[in-house]
Amino acid sequence: MKTSYLLPHKYKTLGWILFIIGLSAGFIFVFNGYEANLLEIDVLSIFNDSNFFGSEKGFFKIIKNSIVDELIALAIIVGGLLVGFSKEKIEDEFIYKLRKDSLVWAIIFNYMVLVFTILFVYDFTFFHVLVFNMFTPLMFFVIRFNFLRLKSTSYEE
Amino acid sequence: MKNRIKVERAELDITQADLATKIGVSRQSINAIEKGKYVPSTVLALKIAQLFKKPVEAIFTLEDQD
Repeated sequence: MKTSYLLPHKYKTLGWILFIIGLSAGFIFVFNGYEANLLEIDVLSIFNDSNFFGSEKGFFKIIKNSIVDELIALAIIVGGLLVGFSKEKIEDEFIYKLRKDSLVWAIIFNYMVLVFTILFVYDFTFFHVLVFNMFTPLMFFVIRFNFLRLKSTSYEE
Repeated sequence: MKNRIKVERAELDITQADLATKIGVSRQSINAIEKGKYVPSTVLALKIAQLFKKPVEAIFTLEDQD
């Protein structure tokens, strides 16, 4: 089974490590109220139209920012992509179908959850929904794919 | 679609894992095909038939709802 977009199997382990570290750090970060003053460095902000956090408005400004949240988000996204889009040990048409079905399922499920939260979650709490929703499509996909894959491993002779 | 893979396997006395290795697919695929949860592509069906040295129709047959 030839697929053009899949990475070699060896990236899977790296993906899991990044994904799990990212998710754990992410939960800690959220429970601490999105506060972190570590790793504050100069970053390039290409566009900023709010001074909610005291930064200057405008285009292409160098600002000070803690990059903890950026690192966490990147770890989850890169990790999740590596896990979801690296080849399995044996890649064939059935695995390919499981991956595709899981992607469809994840998108539909994600938006059903989002519709529910739009209707029933209000005020600043909805900010949490927005944050989680950056990662839930990828998370649901990875969980669903691995669940189906492991489920179809059980067999009788 | 029905298939006789399990029977054919029993006749040759090979496991799902053996069959999977012989045709170069995952064991999950063979398992899903045997259970009727997955309809293999024409290429895969031909490979399976070739391995059992039988025509495809002897192994895979249509059902009324197909």
